[in-house]
Amino acid sequence: MINFGYSINKPRVIDIDRNNLHKSNEILREMPELQTCIGCGSCTATCTAGNLTEFNFRKVHTLVRRGEYQGAYEEMNKCMLCGKCRLVCPRGINTRGVVMLIKRKLGDF
Amino acid sequence: MSFYADFCIPFIVGATVMFAVIAIKYVTWLRRLPKSDLMLIAKGIATPRTLGAVWEVVRESLLHRRIFRVNPLLGYMHMSLAFGWFLLIVVGWIETVAYLGLRWVPLQGHVFFKYFMPMNGITGHKPLFDLVMDLLLLFVLSGVALAWFKRFRSRSLGMKRTTKHVLFDRVALSALWFIFPARLVAESITSALYGGGSFLTGGIGAGLAAAVPPEALAMAYEPAWWFYSCALGVFFVAMPFSRYMHIFTEIPLIFLRYYGLRPEDKEKSYDNFELQACSRCGICIDPCQLQSQLGINDVQSVYFLRDRRYAMLQQKIANNCLMCGRCEQVCPVGINLNTLRLNSRATMRNIPNERRYNYLGGLDRSQGEGRVGYFAGCMTLLTPKTLTAMQRIFDAAREPVWWADKEGGVCCGRPLKLSGEVDSAQKMIDYNKELFRRHGITTLVTSCPICLRVFREEYNLEGIEVLHHSEYILRLMRQGRLSVKYSAATFTYHDPCELGRGSGIYDQPRAVIEAVGQLLEPAHTREDALCCGSSVANTAINDAQQLTIARGVAQELDETGAETVVTSCPLCKKAIMRGATHRVADLSEIVAENLGR
Amino acid sequence: MKHVIVIGGGIAGMQCAAELARGGVRVTILEKQSDTGGKLRNWHKLFPSLTPAEEVLGGLNHALKRSSEIEVRTGCEAAGVTPQRVTLATGEELECDAVVVATGFTLFDARIKEEYGYGIYDNVITSADLEQMFNSGTVSMAGGGVPRRIAFLHCVGSRDEKVCQRHCSKVCCVTGVKQAMEMKELFPSADIFNFYMDIRMFGPGYEEMYREAQQRCNIHFVRGRISEVSPMIDGRLQIKAEDTLTGRPLKIGVDMLVLLIGMRANDMNTVLEERCGLKRQPSGFMQPRDQFLHNTESNVPGIFYAGAVTAPKSVGESLNEGTAAARGVLDYLAAGEGSNKLTVAG
Repeated sequence: MINFGYSINKPRVIDIDRNNLHKSNEILREMPELQTCIGCGSCTATCTAGNLTEFNFRKVHTLVRRGEYQGAYEEMNKCMLCGKCRLVCPRGINTRGVVMLIKRKLGDF
Repeated sequence: MSFYADFCIPFIVGATVMFAVIAIKYVTWLRRLPKSDLMLIAKGIATPRTLGAVWEVVRESLLHRRIFRVNPLLGYMHMSLAFGWFLLIVVGWIETVAYLGLRWVPLQGHVFFKYFMPMNGITGHKPLFDLVMDLLLLFVLSGVALAWFKRFRSRSLGMKRTTKHVLFDRVALSALWFIFPARLVAESITSALYGGGSFLTGGIGAGLAAAVPPEALAMAYEPAWWFYSCALGVFFVAMPFSRYMHIFTEIPLIFLRYYGLRPEDKEKSYDNFELQACSRCGICIDPCQLQSQLGINDVQSVYFLRDRRYAMLQQKIANNCLMCGRCEQVCPVGINLNTLRLNSRATMRNIPNERRYNYLGGLDRSQGEGRVGYFAGCMTLLTPKTLTAMQRIFDAAREPVWWADKEGGVCCGRPLKLSGEVDSAQKMIDYNKELFRRHGITTLVTSCPICLRVFREEYNLEGIEVLHHSEYILRLMRQGRLSVKYSAATFTYHDPCELGRGSGIYDQPRAVIEAVGQLLEPAHTREDALCCGSSVANTAINDAQQLTIARGVAQELDETGAETVVTSCPLCKKAIMRGATHRVADLSEIVAENLGR
Repeated sequence: MKHVIVIGGGIAGMQCAAELARGGVRVTILEKQSDTGGKLRNWHKLFPSLTPAEEVLGGLNHALKRSSEIEVRTGCEAAGVTPQRVTLATGEELECDAVVVATGFTLFDARIKEEYGYGIYDNVITSADLEQMFNSGTVSMAGGGVPRRIAFLHCVGSRDEKVCQRHCSKVCCVTGVKQAMEMKELFPSADIFNFYMDIRMFGPGYEEMYREAQQRCNIHFVRGRISEVSPMIDGRLQIKAEDTLTGRPLKIGVDMLVLLIGMRANDMNTVLEERCGLKRQPSGFMQPRDQFLHNTESNVPGIFYAGAVTAPKSVGESLNEGTAAARGVLDYLAAGEGSNKLTVAG
């Protein structure tokens, strides 16, 4: 495993008071169904990339929704966009669209 | 004779601007072509390909043969405008030569010949030319009338919807609509005053002479020619910036295509020829299921090309396409709509990242050993019936198989490419290629048409034959290695986009089905087949919209009355299952169920 | 004497018929199957008390037999319904003064979720299959072996857009807990894992049962939905899920996988909507007049609902609705809104 010098699960408080939810709200405006995620983990379980490396789509997008943007872009870059997650998501979330959207919106973080 | 009058100014200015702009465009585009493309042109120019291109220019740019196939009336409309106008110019030129011999006459001299050479002042009147020119004018006018009619009643010309146009198009279109009626009026008045003309201009002229006092006619004479010249001038100025640029762009495009130039994964100068060769005829709108089933009206290829041409393309437009290829199938100009959309996405989204996918290094989760490799594909892992069926088929044919991705492999790279990330996709391509080589396979079978396409088109797997499982199964059957039982069961078949239009595989799955039962074709089939809506190429529509499309397709398949809906793509299968009331099965399943002996 | 037709001889219909007969009405039950009892006939024990289903069915059947005013017509399917008339699939027409629709639900066909392997791998079974095994007294793996590791998957065909079943089927959670405990009783040395998205213990005694399953029976609850099931070389099943509480993908080999299948609306409900003017909910279940004061009435006066025809319900709830619907019918008949052709019997 190559360590790129960041980690998305730093052991620290998610401080919603300090986090700027602006980007997160923008993402949810474009992809409102993302809010319907019930965290069942189907996407991560079936994930082609997630079975080869440490990549957890569910966790990354949940953190993004909480305003934790650090490293999200690099994490989403591990995705191969194969689309299995979209096929299994019981909530019908356009997961590939979410990956692309997060990358587009959070390229600077 | 000077062949000059003041009313010619709008025409002269218009024509000069038009030719200058077109020349600038051509020179810029050609100069910016990559070296490899220039080499292709250099190699092709002195070969019979040039002749082939000339013939196609006649068939398509003038006669519009492909539009005739969509709808004869629509074809006639395009042909009468293009071919009619062309003949007016050619015959007009011959007429000048016939009267004046071979001498230089300025352009306006040809165009306004009737003005400069009224028949009363001429010796050796040649009425045949008057007749031919009147016939041609009538021919063009009939096309103009149809164009008017189409604006208001598009259905009568076989189109449910016509294109919504931009400002330049409206200006050019209005001018175009006036050009030929203006010519008719100007020439008729000339005939009324000075004679000449045949049944049309002559006839109207005689009528005018009888009904209108000569002073009034004389007063209308100059303004009529002014109006005709202005209509031409306005059209010519607007033309290179409007959709009518296609008139001249399609011609070099045909030649370049004959020399082997094609659009690629990344934008290049050649794309300009394809972009501007679009006449915005709107034939691509009706087959689009995003239009017909979801009512999305601004993403179709005609709008995509328009937006890209005017540099106002947005991601949401570029991304909202199933890339099913139904529009490409009917495009009368044969524009590579999917590739252009794909390279637009690449321009917007391709961010090379060297470190990306470093985690692939050293991975190998494959199983088994054999000269035949089986790459199920990511999606196929979610349709285990296909996997177990393939296992049974391999066993029945006694084929030792190397399973590339039973435990989960690396994606083929096509989904990433379809979303524009071309450079990153290459990393997956390189990984899988190396994996296939390392295991020494000679045949690669896949159950996923998406994988198939990229294996064939991008992998360059010399020495490894790439087959879709439908082709492979049929081959086993023909070789006598696999026998199936025929029964009274009825099947219908859904052509997956990537397999049918994408890879041209229509007959093999049908041959397999017909070996096990009766095949009933749905309303849309083969090249015309519908898309299931779950295409990985579209990241813009939501689940409910995917479902609407899937239900439409499933309903059509159900209506065949077949007991089983067969397809040969895991994605299509999953999509159709959401809407079908009949059983949905992969091709491999119905084979495995009916194995003989 | 007034005549009421009850469509569906499941538990709600049986309960309703018995109550109607007690209220002095002649009742005809139309039952599609060969016997009354509905889905409960194939069930073994009921949560949370582990009461045998037989006991409940016995009580209901006894009540039906006790009354001479109840006629049960089996093998009989309704094709059209108005408050005054029920048309059978055979074309026969039955006159009446009110109708109770107690047609229940359809079990989700687990084969649609192909990735779970039902109908492909022998040791993938559904919760309904398992109840039948309990009933027949032979719970074992396909080859007859004793399972050492068993997995249950919750929410199969419930809360799933991909199979067009958005709703929660309500009873599968507690069924999963109950069946896991029963399996533990049968196979004390087996490890049992329940894969769930949310555990919804809404009824009296359910939460206590859940706690008992965890604490006494040592049943492992993993929060994550299974994404794929594949065969292993040794013949077992490999399950892939995400253990969402640790945030890591999880793999496990099991001998047996039980899919807790949900309840979906009957296909016939579309017929009720299109031909009989009855309203349907987006979930496909029938729409009661309102959720509170008239939840056993339809939008058509004289047509009533009882049981799972309006939503997934537990056995207890369905029985209560049978009683409530009967009360509504009797009030309706007494108010004289029934057919004019029949005089009110004394």
